[in-house]
Amino acid sequence: MSPAALLPLLVAVPLLAAGVTVVVRVAAVQRALLVGVPAATAVAGLALLRAHAATPVLADAVGAFEPGIAIPFVSDTLTAVMLVVTGATTAVCAWFLCLTGEDRYRFVPPLALMLTGGVNGALLTGDLFNLFVFVEVMLLPSYALIAVTGSWRRLGIGRMFVLVNLVTSTFLLMGAALVYGAAGTVNLAALAGAAADDPQVGLAVSVVLLALLVKGGIVPVHGWLPRAYPATSAGIMALFAGLHTKVGLYAVYRIVAVAYGGQIPWAGLFGAAVVLTILVGALGTNAERRMRGGIAYQMVSGVGHILVGVALFTPAALAAGVFYLVHHIVTVGALVLAVGAVEHTYGTGRLDRLSGLMRRERWASAIVGLGLFSLVGLPPTSGLWGKVGLVLASAAAPSAWGVVFIVAMMIASVISLLALQRWWVAAFGGPPLQTYRPDDPEHGRGVAVPLPDDVRIPGRLLAPATVLIAVSVVMFAGAGVLFPVAQDAAGGLLDVGPYVEAVLGR
Amino acid sequence: MILPLTIGVLVTAGVYLLTRRSMVRAVFGIGLLSHAANLLILTAGVTSFREEPIAGRVDPALAADPLPQAFVLTAIVITLAVMVLMLTMAVIGHDDDLRRAPEVGETPDS
Repeated sequence: MSPAALLPLLVAVPLLAAGVTVVVRVAAVQRALLVGVPAATAVAGLALLRAHAATPVLADAVGAFEPGIAIPFVSDTLTAVMLVVTGATTAVCAWFLCLTGEDRYRFVPPLALMLTGGVNGALLTGDLFNLFVFVEVMLLPSYALIAVTGSWRRLGIGRMFVLVNLVTSTFLLMGAALVYGAAGTVNLAALAGAAADDPQVGLAVSVVLLALLVKGGIVPVHGWLPRAYPATSAGIMALFAGLHTKVGLYAVYRIVAVAYGGQIPWAGLFGAAVVLTILVGALGTNAERRMRGGIAYQMVSGVGHILVGVALFTPAALAAGVFYLVHHIVTVGALVLAVGAVEHTYGTGRLDRLSGLMRRERWASAIVGLGLFSLVGLPPTSGLWGKVGLVLASAAAPSAWGVVFIVAMMIASVISLLALQRWWVAAFGGPPLQTYRPDDPEHGRGVAVPLPDDVRIPGRLLAPATVLIAVSVVMFAGAGVLFPVAQDAAGGLLDVGPYVEAVLGR
Repeated sequence: MILPLTIGVLVTAGVYLLTRRSMVRAVFGIGLLSHAANLLILTAGVTSFREEPIAGRVDPALAADPLPQAFVLTAIVITLAVMVLMLTMAVIGHDDDLRRAPEVGETPDS
C-alpha cells in the first residue's frame, strides 16, 4: 500500500477521536486525545515532509474511483509544512486550554478535535466542493467553541461570527457551483490553468477566491476578525488565529497557483487590497483598548504580508510568503497565549486597567517583548527573516507592485512599532499595579480588589507561550535550514505539473 | 429563465433578511441564500428532466448528471445542521436582539 492511501487518516483519526471524547468523559483520556491528536498530526506532517524529498506530490483518490471523478486528497511540501505548523500550534493551544481548565467545559475536547479534522481536510483536499465541506466541518465546531467557553457577550459575538462566515461559505458554495457549470469539474488538478485560459471559468473561480479572502480577513472585508477574535477566550483565540484565516490563505495560494497558473485575476485590485490590508491592520492597532484587540489588528496586517507572496508570484516571493505564514502563526499564537496567561491571573486584558507588569512578571514580559519584536520584524525572532524575505522578494520582482509593497510594509512596520510601543507601555510599563480582578464564581470576571503582593502568573500557564516563542527564536537562528523547505513549497506552487500528474494519474 | 429568476429573488430576499437585527430573521435569510446556492448548483447540471443516473440500467446519454445532485444533497445536510445551531443561538441569546445589553450580572467590558 502506498503511503498516499494513509492521507485520509489525517481526517478520520481526529473525527473518530472527537467521537470518543463525547462518549468517554474521563478527564485524563480527553486531555490525552485533545493534545495528542494534533501533535500526532504534526508528526504525520513531518513524516510527509520526509516523504516529499523523494516523491514531491502524494495523492490518493478516496474510494478508488476514477481519477478526476474521485475526491482527491493531495499532499505536497506546502501541505506538509502547513500540517506540521497547524498541528503543533493546535497541540500547544490545547495544552493551554487544559491549563486554564477550559477543556472541562462541556464538549470542548470533541469540538477542538473536530476543528483539527476539518483543518487537516481543508489542507489536504484537492477538490473545490470538498474544500467547502471541510471549511464547514472546521467552522461548525468554531461557532460552538465561541459559545461554549464564553459569557453572554460571547454569544453575541459568536452570532456575528456565524453569520459572516456562513454567508461567506454560501458564497464559496455558489462559486463551486459556477465552476462546475463553467468547467464541468471542481477537481483542482483538472482545472489546472483553466481559469487563466477561459474567462468564464476564471470568473467562477474568482468567486471562490473572494469567499476565501473574506475568510482570510483581507481589507475591506476584515471587520469581523478584530471584533470576533478578542471577544473569545485567549486559548480559543490562539486556536482560531493559527487555523481559520491561515487555512483560507493557504487555499488562496493553492488555487491561484493551480487554476490561474500564478496570474491572479484583477491584479490591480488585489494589489491595492493587499496594500490596504497591511496598512489598515497596522493603523487599527492604535485604536484598540484591549491587549488582544491590538494583536487581532496585527493579524490583519499579517494577512496582507502573507498575500504579498501571491500578488507577486515569483519563486522568492512565494517562499517568503510561506515563511511569513509559518512565522505569523507561531508568533501570534505565542503572544495570544502569553496575554491569555496575564488575563487569566489579573482578570483583565484592558490596557487602561493594567500597568507595571514588567516589574512583576519578568518571564511573561520577556515572552511578550520577544513576540512584539517578532511582529514588528526585529531580531532575534522569526519576524526579521519574514520581513527581510518579503522585502527582498518585492525588490527583485519584475512588476511595479514590488516597490509599492516595500513602501507599504515599511510604513506599516513603523506604525506597528509606534502602536505596539504604546500597547507595551500601557500594560507593562508605568506604575505598579494596585488592583486586580480575580475570578468570581458567580459572574465570571469579578470586581477590582487590592492586589496582594504574592499574586503571580503560575509558571505552567506561561509554558505554552514559551514553547511557541522559542520556536520563533529557533526559526530566526535556523532560517538557513528552514528557507529551503519554504522554497520547496514555493516550487510546488510554481510548477503544478507533478501535482496534476499525481492527482489525475497522467 | 425561471431558475435564474428564482435564484435572484431568493438572494434578494435573503440579503434583505440578513440586514435585519433579529437573529431569527437573519437565520431565515441564510436559509433563503442557501436555497439559492442549491438551485445554482442544479443549474450547473442539466435542468430538464433526465433519467436517473444508475450505471448499467440507463443509457449514459440520457442520464442526469449525478454530481450536482450529490453536491446539493451534501449542501442541504450542512445547511440543516447550521440552521439548527443558529436557531439554538437565537433562542438562548434572545435578549441581545435589543439595543440594550442583557442583564447578566457581568460588567460589559472586563
